[in-house]
Amino acid sequence: MTQSKLLLDQVSKEFGDGDTSVKVLDHISLDIKSGEFVAVVGPSGSGKSTFLSIAGALLSPSKGRIWMYDQEITKLSAKKMNQLRLSHIGFIFQSSNLIPYLTVRDQLLLMAKLAGQHGQEPKQRADDLLHRLGLSHRKSHYPESLSGGERQRVAIARAWMSDPELILADEPTASLDSERGRTVVQMLADEVKLRQKAAVMVTHDQRMLDLCDRIVYIEDGKLSEQPRPIQL
Amino acid sequence: MFLALREFRHAKLRYLLIGFIMVLIAWLVLFVTGLAQGLSSDNASSIQNMKADYLVLQEESDHRINRSVLTDELWNEVRSHPGGSDAAQLGVHMSTLTQEGSSTKFDAAFFAIDMESFLAPKVVEGSRISNTDAGVVMADSSLKDDGYRLGDRIVDQASGTSFEIAAFTEGQSFSHAPVIHMNFEGWKSLQPGSSKHGAIYNAIALNGSTEQMEALVSDIPGIELITKKEALQGIPGFQEEQGSLIMMIVFLFVIAAFVLAVFFYVITIQKMNQFGVLKAIGAGTGYLARNLILQVLSLTLVSLAISIGLTYGVSYLLAGVVPFSLTPSVVLLCSLLFLAVSLLGSLLSLYRVIKIDAIEAIGRAA
Ligand SMILES: Nc1ncnc2c1ncn2[C@@H]1O[C@H](COP(=O)(O)OP(=O)(O)OP(=O)(O)O)[C@@H](O)[C@H]1O
Ligand SMILES: [Mg+2]
Repeated sequence: MTQSKLLLDQVSKEFGDGDTSVKVLDHISLDIKSGEFVAVVGPSGSGKSTFLSIAGALLSPSKGRIWMYDQEITKLSAKKMNQLRLSHIGFIFQSSNLIPYLTVRDQLLLMAKLAGQHGQEPKQRADDLLHRLGLSHRKSHYPESLSGGERQRVAIARAWMSDPELILADEPTASLDSERGRTVVQMLADEVKLRQKAAVMVTHDQRMLDLCDRIVYIEDGKLSEQPRPIQL
Repeated sequence: MFLALREFRHAKLRYLLIGFIMVLIAWLVLFVTGLAQGLSSDNASSIQNMKADYLVLQEESDHRINRSVLTDELWNEVRSHPGGSDAAQLGVHMSTLTQEGSSTKFDAAFFAIDMESFLAPKVVEGSRISNTDAGVVMADSSLKDDGYRLGDRIVDQASGTSFEIAAFTEGQSFSHAPVIHMNFEGWKSLQPGSSKHGAIYNAIALNGSTEQMEALVSDIPGIELITKKEALQGIPGFQEEQGSLIMMIVFLFVIAAFVLAVFFYVITIQKMNQFGVLKAIGAGTGYLARNLILQVLSLTLVSLAISIGLTYGVSYLLAGVVPFSLTPSVVLLCSLLFLAVSLLGSLLSLYRVIKIDAIEAIGRAA
């Protein structure tokens, strides 16, 4: 059996308290192993982003426990969670998540700075990543002068910069046309396979699902696993 | 730091504009401070430089030296009191003078003192006059700018008495007029008739401990004791002049704090989403707070450096035209205050940065 990258056990999340409380997630369990690329689908407002935030240690659950590897993250302090996000989780957000005043290369170097890495090694790593994602010629551009697809690729490069075990993406293709979106998702899928990482992607786009290994469906706070669509 | 510097570089215009405002405010603060100091010494440097801690005045004279009249009798009483061992008489008389042979008038303050006492000012040119020669005086060097030289004679308009300038002193002004020091022989010739009752003085300068002074006031009736500071406040116009300038300075500091506070607050609000992303990808609150403080500090420091340069530049151009004096220690104090005020202004933004939740970043398409 391959190792679990992320394990959610009976996780519930309620917003508000008393009469006005809303139960967004209701006793959800999910086990994600190395090399798995999981898609999360569901209607709007069903709790997909909430699920992703909890999996990414951005939000703490009302009930239940979460493990990354053997570490139980539900027990960590805010500061430890911060460090965990920095070193183990790569985030890719829907859009506008690049820092406007940093050049493409500096976006990546910021990750190294935050992790306290200095010297030539991070620069080399950033250049390699940008090369792999076909962004070498955009190195010293600011996000404002990049196309939507380029921005999203920079975001991916940034997420890979700290070589995380788990990549969490919230609608990474929402601002892209389907062809560009597909390229981006393909890159994510390849990386997961190649380096035995794990990735969770929230998406609305049915056409991306064939690139994923598993599809989970969230509705009314419940999570259910769906069969993979048939490959064309 | 990584983020702060890159943001400066990217949003040059924005930070240049706020820097420009800060330069103007800091410049005004320093300039008005220099003016306040310059005016205060132009007004009253003779009292500021006086080597006495206390002054004895006639009671009910409202801290004003020129309202007080003391007699020889009282002088003897003070002298014989244990608290009065280190004392000197002082006569102050505002007068209008002309140069002998000319009709141009100018105002001056005659200070009659014992030339052997601690009130005798330092002489910078010529030699100190004696206590016996009634015809010689020592004038403040500001008279030199008006063309007076050693040996020139000046005439007191009211009494017609003329005096020879035998020495020049420095930093001696009273109520915006130069001070002319004389001995008590010369003082008598200014006040015909005073010899009947003995000499008349306006104040007695004293040095001594607080307890001795308290004893002195309670033992001798008819006097009031004021400190040097109170004597300054009692110079006509001094308090009003300094008060309005100090109020301006205080307001400028408040304005600086608010301008910075508003500027950084607006920028911080604009960047909320960005801060959320930064926190989500692992930037600690401390890191972001340090960046903000660094931005505020470097902006303030650069603005201060430029405005200090501008202030000295302008004061050099205006030398002699306006009374201006700015010592390095005052510049340092103003700068520290300015830094403190700007940090205070950034507190609101800091609070927002600390409160921003990483969760802002997820599920929001902004
Ligand atoms: N901080 C909060 N306080 C109260 N309710 C919240 C909060 N965050 C989310 N919710 C509620 O939780 C539910 C799920 O929100 P979530 O953002 O996870 O949905 P989603 O599945 O990502 O939707 P979409 O597909 O539109 O992005 C929504 O009904 C929302 O109103
Ligand atoms: Mg969402």
